[in-house]
Amino acid sequence: MAANEKNSGGIVNWFDTRFPITDLLERHLSKYPAPTNLNFWYLFGFLMIVVLAMQILTGLWLMMNYTNTAEEAFSSVEYIMRDVEYGWLLRYMHAAGASAFFALIYLHMFRGMMYGSYRKPRELIWVGGWVTYVLLCAEGFTGYVLPWGQMSFWAAQVIISLLGSIPIIGEDLATWIRGDYLISGITLSRLFAFHVVLLPIMIIAVVFFHILALHEIGSNNPDGIDIKKHVDKDGVPLDSKPFYPYDITHDIYALGVFLLIFCSVVFFFPEGGGYVLEYVNFEPANPLSTPAHIVPSWYFTPFYAMLRAVDFSLFGFTAKFLGFVTMAAGIAIFAALPWLDRSPVKSIRYKGILSKVFLAGFVVSFFVLGYLGAVPPSDLKNLLAKVFTVVYFSYFLLMPIYTRLEKCKPVPERAPGH
Amino acid sequence: MKLLFIILFFSSLSFSAEGNFNCGTIECDSFSADTTDLASLQSGLTTYMNNCYGCHSLKYSRYNRVAKDLEIPIEIYQENLIFDGSKPGELMNISLNEKDAVEWIGAKPPDLTLEARIRKPEWIYTYLRTYYPDASRPYGVNNKVYQNVSMPNVLEDLQLNLSAAEFDKVIYDLTNFLVYVADPSANERKRIGVYVLLFLLLFTSFAYLTYREFKKELK
Repeated sequence: MAANEKNSGGIVNWFDTRFPITDLLERHLSKYPAPTNLNFWYLFGFLMIVVLAMQILTGLWLMMNYTNTAEEAFSSVEYIMRDVEYGWLLRYMHAAGASAFFALIYLHMFRGMMYGSYRKPRELIWVGGWVTYVLLCAEGFTGYVLPWGQMSFWAAQVIISLLGSIPIIGEDLATWIRGDYLISGITLSRLFAFHVVLLPIMIIAVVFFHILALHEIGSNNPDGIDIKKHVDKDGVPLDSKPFYPYDITHDIYALGVFLLIFCSVVFFFPEGGGYVLEYVNFEPANPLSTPAHIVPSWYFTPFYAMLRAVDFSLFGFTAKFLGFVTMAAGIAIFAALPWLDRSPVKSIRYKGILSKVFLAGFVVSFFVLGYLGAVPPSDLKNLLAKVFTVVYFSYFLLMPIYTRLEKCKPVPERAPGH
Repeated sequence: MKLLFIILFFSSLSFSAEGNFNCGTIECDSFSADTTDLASLQSGLTTYMNNCYGCHSLKYSRYNRVAKDLEIPIEIYQENLIFDGSKPGELMNISLNEKDAVEWIGAKPPDLTLEARIRKPEWIYTYLRTYYPDASRPYGVNNKVYQNVSMPNVLEDLQLNLSAAEFDKVIYDLTNFLVYVADPSANERKRIGVYVLLFLLLFTSFAYLTYREFKKELK
């Protein structure tokens, strides 16, 4: 092994003859060949790893002081905020960290959609990322319930009762998930167990798989070219640079910028205008008093708008069930992207006008639905939600058609400016 | 393409908000909290303990924490502002129980530790200054911000004996105190935050310079 020759004798060699540590580190970190034409859209994966580590650490310390019972949960959070040394910092970091995680994952997913990173041979990387996203949604939802404020309670009530709309098994399923006929302390403690044990383990495992698979196949790039077609005599792609030091220095600079934004929120706007910590959630959960206006966290509002947009029953299914199916489909459909895209090119840079229009439509619908899901409904807003739900799905469902119809630009053999 | 996204992004955000009043039947008066003004917080605490604390607990807060943050010597605090012999390290609970409260006033007065976070400070500030006589209500008063509120105008004596400006100041201090007690670490948080951001600026500057050096090498 090459590593053995380099480090004859010493601790590293001792390890290398027993476990290929140098080889692993070189393949996955220091010598990983990153395309030369990567742009700032390629930073968010790295930043998410940092946020994941931060969530695990702050979560660990929060857990040391949190009580997972209906009677004590709310006051234990205030205990953390007031009596635990720097407890306020842990809690604000963890809350803002959740929002940051979603902001980053949406940017990361959008990058993949723009540059066709889900295309062959990266289908499994994309699906692995999608599984992480779904797990993250579950993690976000379960975590949101734990402070046991009014919105925690009622958001849990709304989301879990959606399961009740499933024909035949629905009500029993919802009861089974809640562990009770209503949201109660029993529900709280099982969501706590999911939040701190099951889901984090699954997220770490899937992220590990996601990165391993990426490093085997190699990163896509904004031009969607295959850099492995042109390699030097050692098999290193010509249009690549080693991760260390060229990418890591870029990533660390980006981390500084990210932390500046993140810490500005944590230290100066910890409520994030009601989006990081909702004002209503500073009131303890009260099963007898429904808040005037129940909203999920901002990162779920596009899907919540889809749920509310479906207000008609069809084929004997209730509106609630159809809304639930639409919402779930809105999340699930990302996984199908690799098989929906039939374009001869990967990147939006070389795709035709139709792909650009539909992708723009998707972005607008995501933001508009996000807005509509956060405000009280009205007739006009409901109509808008219907229209933009259709726009949202048309990006995916019409993709096999419009990607074949349009005229694409020729893709260069090598990265631009090589 | 980029421009298109930017235009579409902003156009999607430009929906206007509804024009409801944000303080019940009226617009809120403006309020700007200053939790570094200890004199104001101390005055607010005094008003609170003497007029509100009989019914409204601050059960997530501790007596000695308030004393420490507001720089009130604990002996003076204990002598003047703890009425039930509680120890300084105890949570600020009250003796009024829910059953009696419902019987006497018709509703349980809420705990106010987090009130300034649930409702906005400007709401509290406006609410406490907009009681008006209304013979149809049990206590003969009603409120412009909170219609048909169960709470009597507890501060009526102050309102009658003080000038409007003096009364406004009392309510300002009281609201300011509630802002403090809702998030008592805010001052420390902002103080530390300045150093954190300064450090990060320095860190990011050097990270940028390093990045630039290596980028040159690539070309």
